[in-house]
Parts: sequence; C-alpha cells; structure tokens
Amino acid sequence: MPDLIALVGQPFIVRALLAAALTGVLGGLLGSHAVLRQLAFFGDALGHSALLGVTVGMLLGLQPTLVVIPFAVLFALLVQTLLQHSRLPADALLSLVYSSSLAAAVVLLSLLPAARPRLTALLFGDILGVSWPDLGLLALLLLLTLVLLLPRSRAQILLSFDPLLARSRGVAEGVERLVFLVLLAVVVAVGIRTVGVLLISGFVVIPACTARLLCRRFSRYQLLAALLGGVGSVLGVLASALFNLPAGPTVVVVQMLVFLLTLALANRIRPGRGVPAASGGSDGPGD
Amino acid sequence: MTQPLVVVEHLRVERDGLPVVEDVGFQLDDGTDTALVGPNGAGKSSLVRALIGLLPHQAGQVWLLGEPLAAGGRLPPAVRRQIAYLPQAVAPAPNFPLAVSEFVALGWDPPGRPGAAVARALERVDAGPLADRSLAELSGGERQRVLLAFCLVQPRRLLLLDEASSGLDPRAGEQFHALLQQLRQAEGWTILQVSHDLEMVRRSCDRVLCLNRRLRCSGTPAEALAPARLQDLYGPGFVPYHHHHHP
Repeated sequence: MPDLIALVGQPFIVRALLAAALTGVLGGLLGSHAVLRQLAFFGDALGHSALLGVTVGMLLGLQPTLVVIPFAVLFALLVQTLLQHSRLPADALLSLVYSSSLAAAVVLLSLLPAARPRLTALLFGDILGVSWPDLGLLALLLLLTLVLLLPRSRAQILLSFDPLLARSRGVAEGVERLVFLVLLAVVVAVGIRTVGVLLISGFVVIPACTARLLCRRFSRYQLLAALLGGVGSVLGVLASALFNLPAGPTVVVVQMLVFLLTLALANRIRPGRGVPAASGGSDGPGD
Repeated sequence: MTQPLVVVEHLRVERDGLPVVEDVGFQLDDGTDTALVGPNGAGKSSLVRALIGLLPHQAGQVWLLGEPLAAGGRLPPAVRRQIAYLPQAVAPAPNFPLAVSEFVALGWDPPGRPGAAVARALERVDAGPLADRSLAELSGGERQRVLLAFCLVQPRRLLLLDEASSGLDPRAGEQFHALLQQLRQAEGWTILQVSHDLEMVRRSCDRVLCLNRRLRCSGTPAEALAPARLQDLYGPGFVPYHHHHHP
C-alpha cells in the first residue's frame, strides 16, 4: 500500500490516471451509441488505419497527433461515402480499407528505421508518457463531445433505434450520422496516444457492453458506460503501476474482468439477459 | 366541405431508377380510415414513405394538411408534428436499453420535455404499468400499444401505419385494431394503413386503395374488395377468404 501511495504522488502517474479517466469516459459515452449501431468494428478499423496517419506524420517530420486527427476524419468520411455508394457489405468494406492502410503504414515504417522503436508505443499506447498538453486536448474533446451530443440526444437515440422512424420525426439523418462519426473518429485518433492502435476499440466497446447488461433506460446506460469506462481505466492504470505491467493492456484486461463479473451477476439477478446479441441496432454499420 | 387532409396527384416514385409507384392519385378526407392493399412488391411502403418525404418522388404533387411537399421531401416542422408514421416491424434489438417511457417521449416533437404527456399517453392505451419496462422485453401486443402511445403523446391529425399489426396473433391483432378505432374517434385522426389483413380492412376501414404500382381501384371496402377486383389485383388464381356473418 505505501508503494501505491508513493506512486500516486508521482506527476507522471497523476497525468496517466487523468488521461485514463478522460479516455475511458469518452470511450463509454461514444461507445454507448457505437455498440447499438454495430460500429464496434469501425472503431477497430479506424484505430488500425490511423497508424498510416501517424506514419505519414513521422515521414513529414510533424507532430503525429496533428496529422492523425485530420487523417481519422478523412477516413471516417471515406468509409461513410463508400458505404453509401458501394453495394459491398460494411464489414468487408471496413476490412478492405483498414488492412490496406495498415499494410501501407508498415511499408512506410520500413523506410523509417528510426521510427521503429516507436512502433510498440503506437500499437499499445504510452499512457505513462502523456503530457499536460495531451491532457488538455482530451479534456477539450470531452467538453466538445458533451456540447455536441447532449443537445442532439433525442436525434441520436432515434437513429440508433430505428433510422426510418428517426427520419419521420424530422431527424436529419446524414448530418447526425456525420457528427457522430467524426466525433468517434477524433476520439479514436486522440485515444491512440494513450491506449494504442490495437486496444482503442476495447475502450469504446467493453464499457458499453457491460452497461448494456445492466440497464433498461438509455439515460442510465450511457451514464453507466461512461462511468465504467472512467473507473475501469483508472483501476487498470493503478494495477499496472502496482504490478509493473503495461498500462494500456492492463486497462483493457480490467475492463474485460468487470464485463465478465457483470455478466455472471446479471445472469443471476435477471436470467436471460446474457451476452448482448450480435444483431445490435437496427441500422447496421452504415453510420 | 372541409379541405382533404392529403391530396396526391400523378405521383411517381423510383427506386434504383425503376418506377415502383406510377401515376398514383387520391385524396384522404379528414377523419377517414383508408387501407392501402396490394400484393408484395406493389409499392405500398414506397408510396407511404414518399407521402411524407422519406423517399423522393420523381413526378407528381403531394399536399399534406394544405402544404405542398417539395420533391426533396422536406416538410415544414409544423406539418411534420401533426403526422405520425410507424414503419414496418418497429422492434428493438434484444437488450436494447430503452425504457417504454423514454421511447414514448421520443415521439414528442415540440421543444422542451414532454412532462406528464408521456404518462397520459401510456394510460390511454392501458400501458401505464409498462412505463419502466424495457421496450425490448414487451410482447408483440404490448409493443403495438406502446407504439400508439408514441403517436398519442402530442396531438396529431394524420397517422400512416405500415403493416402495424403484422406479427400479432389474431386476438392481439383484433385488440390492436379495436384500440386504434377507439383512439381515432377520440383524437379525430385520419389514418392511412398498409395492410394484408383484408378481413380487418372490410370491418374497420372507410375506404380502400388497391395498388400494384399503379392504383388499380379504389372505393368502399364492399366495392374495392369484391372478388373480381381482388383477382385483378392479386392475380386470377386468388381466392378471397371471407367470413359470412349470419344473424
């Protein structure tokens, strides 16, 4: 315990805890809709594709975060356009785009021997290396998410529930989908700094799945997803510091343990709730 | 003579470049209940969607509550608020976290929260005790009552229902239509409903529109659902099943 108290006093641990809490809350907030719209794979694909953005940034000698945000937004717009205008299934399309951009990133990285040591940090994140400006960006992003999502909560819930019903109530489907997708893209892009390319989708998906096991009301579901995301991430960072484990992966393992525990309890309290069905929301991955 | 609530003239709707609705014209008078019948693929759902701009129309004119519908389909909010549309098979995915009261509140269009309107709407369809239940956990009959509460949460003039009672067992289907008629009288709703249940149409509706891409016939249920008309609509092999009620 004294070890833990001493560790928590370290500035880099304080920054890591704050970054974990902010990333976790953001992941939970956006994940609550993403899971219902079957966009979990989108987060994963975006994370992998963002590696190309980071690599291009390094090639150009720019700050990777500055490149990865516009790159992620462009990726989101590209996927949205392809989904609307091609007749390919969404999972095949996402797989096509992300595997090709991941391949291009690895080819480019092979031309940059100096960047190779940074590859592990890109893949698994470097939450202990988070700076105050990084934290400021995360806080700004959380504020932006709340400002954009709260006033359009009705439209977003209707879209997750039934897009046709949403449009009949005057919801501008294209605009609302785009706002959500761009926001998700930016959160994933910024989250890569802390959690890494391979694990970012866990932050988006796991807390929302856990909350879905427990909640009947949407308002509670979204709040609980954000809370579980934040608390699970903080616990994960503390555990990683205490047992000298890699931070990003430990956070995801902790969130997964919380999910499994909840699943066991939910089945005991309310038999039949079980694992959320793979069918998700009614609008498919066309967001 | 009051102005018709809906006027449609020479409407043409295309999907993927092919016409699914061609040269259709009709009007719905205030307070009437009209059925839209026809075989699968006849364009019934497309017609209903095009009426409120959920599908663009390529030719023709639509007036809703006296306002013209632009080809792009944008309806003035004041008109949209007075219309409720229920698509086919509104059913949430398993475990979809949405309480009944939250769902009914989504039907409230004016700014601000619906407040007591949700509880009132649920009471009127005898679904008050369902308020805190998950929408995903309801039976088919319960869910259809809640869908009517979604329509009831604010005053409407026009209801467009796309096979609202499909998937219900006969008893639940009858209960749903009895409740719909009761609310229609109380609210003064004008209804256009897509249906394959010709017996229900015969019993409940004032008028029938027979569609197979074009409007094949229209009239009272007795006129439009006559065997010869039905065989023209559904094909020569069609044998209409009809209950004969003896005194």
